[in-house]
Amino acid sequence: MSSQYPALIVAVPLLAGLLVFIAGWVNKKWCFPIAVAALGISAYSSIGLLFRVINEGVIVYKMGGWDPPMGIAYYVDHLNGLVLVVVSVVAFLNAIASKRSIEDEFPDNIGAFYSLYVLMVTGLLGIVVTGDAFNLYVLLEIAALTGYGLIAMGGGRGPLSALNYLYMGTIGACFYLLGIGYLYIMTGSLNMVDIARILPDLYQSKAVMAAFIICMVGVWIKMAFFPLHAWLPNAYTYAPSASSSLVAPLVTKVMIYVMIRLILTVFTPEFSFNILAVSQPIVWLAVIAIVMGALLALKERNLKKMLTYIIVAEVGYMVGGAWLGNRVGMTGAILHIVNDALMTLCVFMAVGNIVYKVKGADFEDLQGLFRKMPFTMGAFVVGAMSMIGVPPTCGFFSKWYLISGAIQAGHYGFMVALVFSSLVNVVLFFRIFEICYYEPFSDDHGHGDEHGHHPEPAMDEAPVTMLVPLFVIAVILVLVGLYTGDIVNQIIDVAIPKGLV
Amino acid sequence: MKIIGLIVAVLTGGLLVYAAEDFPAWSDPASPASTYLSPHFIEKTIEETSVPNIVTAVLADYRGFDTMFETTVIFSAGVAVFLLLRTSGPKTQQTRLYRHQLTGVTLRIKEGADLPPSDNFERIDRFWTPHDLIIKTVCRLLIPFIQLFGLYVIAHGHHSPGGGFQGGVILGASIILLAISHDLRTAVKRVAEKMDAVLCAIGVLIYAGTGALCLLLGLNFLDYKALAPVLHVDSIMARSHGILIVEIGVGIAVMFTMIWIYNNVSSGGKYNQGL
Repeated sequence: MSSQYPALIVAVPLLAGLLVFIAGWVNKKWCFPIAVAALGISAYSSIGLLFRVINEGVIVYKMGGWDPPMGIAYYVDHLNGLVLVVVSVVAFLNAIASKRSIEDEFPDNIGAFYSLYVLMVTGLLGIVVTGDAFNLYVLLEIAALTGYGLIAMGGGRGPLSALNYLYMGTIGACFYLLGIGYLYIMTGSLNMVDIARILPDLYQSKAVMAAFIICMVGVWIKMAFFPLHAWLPNAYTYAPSASSSLVAPLVTKVMIYVMIRLILTVFTPEFSFNILAVSQPIVWLAVIAIVMGALLALKERNLKKMLTYIIVAEVGYMVGGAWLGNRVGMTGAILHIVNDALMTLCVFMAVGNIVYKVKGADFEDLQGLFRKMPFTMGAFVVGAMSMIGVPPTCGFFSKWYLISGAIQAGHYGFMVALVFSSLVNVVLFFRIFEICYYEPFSDDHGHGDEHGHHPEPAMDEAPVTMLVPLFVIAVILVLVGLYTGDIVNQIIDVAIPKGLV
Repeated sequence: MKIIGLIVAVLTGGLLVYAAEDFPAWSDPASPASTYLSPHFIEKTIEETSVPNIVTAVLADYRGFDTMFETTVIFSAGVAVFLLLRTSGPKTQQTRLYRHQLTGVTLRIKEGADLPPSDNFERIDRFWTPHDLIIKTVCRLLIPFIQLFGLYVIAHGHHSPGGGFQGGVILGASIILLAISHDLRTAVKRVAEKMDAVLCAIGVLIYAGTGALCLLLGLNFLDYKALAPVLHVDSIMARSHGILIVEIGVGIAVMFTMIWIYNNVSSGGKYNQGL
């Protein structure tokens, strides 16, 4: 069966997404087990696949048995093997953690909600695993459409933010499609490896250059790279907890994977960095993204919204790292995809727990939380430390690679931006800790407590099903940090082509 | 802001035009798109899949994996619309209006009260308008033929333009026509909400399930050759039959998703009389 892992990773959640939906009409009790089982099989397959790739090298899986470029093929190498594990594990943990909040918020529509959830994961996994540029677009559509639905389920301004996201997301996807169309006109192929084989003769072509720019801009819109980020903060803030802790860690990171895939495999680093010579301005854009993300985060008085601006800054880290044009920077960018997905999940899951109990994430709601929800806050501290970049959490190591890459490339602006953003993160998170630890418990919010006159609020922790996945992810943050050396040497180093030094 | 938008639009347009300079000439037989993969499809399709319509073969077999996800896109859109619009509030309104079809008398039934025992009452809304006799009759005559044509388009996709998407749209449009010419309640009586929703999923499930069946029978996902022993045909013919099976799945998914989206959008998720 292990030769079928590439198909199982995507096919199992797809089938489950449909079955969950039918189960929603027949018996709602089946929805959660089906969804979690499918995501579990997906995670198991992708871990198995990563180990096979490490041992045997690139794995090609031909859909329908047709040879590429006639048919569609999946190429699993070290780069997407690693990202697949991250995506499937994050989706699996979040599905378990968000069970209670989904049942509370959408009691009538559990089936439809889980269906969209699982289909979104299908889309994201399909984007990562595929070796076909057009197949990537189709799955991009699935991930986007389901994402709009999941985000719009948040009450209040949720639907409006989702509409805004829909406009921007559609433009982004159209740009990507247009770029692929240009490439098809010039090469006649849609298979990524095949395009890369044909392209070197066409490197001087204006159409290929335009295709590259259009694809890049499309992907940037999708990942909320700085001047194109406006849709992200509201969409992620007003989404329901279960959606935001799925969408926030994964969507931007998967789009960064797509950008790196386009740079490394489709267009080759030679074309991206040497022939086009646009690295410098893009890294400067990343610098602006990081600085603006950090500054905008400082302004916010709502924990969830603050975190969304940190995501905007983090996108700047990875785009900048990838475009530094050297091996160390690229390593940092790829490692940061992994780390950022995990630590974003950690903090968003913690926020999910807080919202579940306190019904809000404004700074005033957070007072006294260390006493009220000590376990959730403990995991939140680990996630926050990782976002700041404190060793031994994983956030430190990717930042280290990014800064080394910046020094090696002589790009001190990027280095300064990274350090600045880390310092701002210190301010942001310690401000939260201060409110949660020192500020008096105000009883005018009196959630849960009828008489708020107790100076010491009673402990009121989130349910165990929400805490255990949160602890698991907090432990993973430290473990990934400790095993960074192995991840970089055995996986990321092999994933980057030899030509890039 | 408008100025910035204009500049961006002009720059993007300029880039596209600038790039178009390097394109091969319009309908150039020597262009990469016509010389690279097309000859293979033109020469080998009938040999490899025994499907005369090359477009169908490419769509449902060579690149069938894409098409499966295209169907899933449609299904996801249906689910998203349902999830957003279908209100989970009280299903019945406080007072309901019923019209006696023979006399035209309208009764207002308050919560808990019962309707007089008669089969001639129809449920209406406050903004009810009488159906137009001509439109109603013409649509009634037309709908069976539209549906018959839809089935033909699905079944004949192997030989002529058509297939699951087109046929599904035609079939879906026939029910939507019923809803427009009468009202939504008449259409929902024919295609109930639950059946509608479940069939959307089943349509996609037929497609994905065929793929998974091929996998269980020992070949790659969606490799219809694996179906040969099940269908009692040789492996080339199995591909042709496999395409028909998935086209039927696409047809079902598209038809019911169209109806489902129309029902939800036209009534704002309330399932009253609709447009």
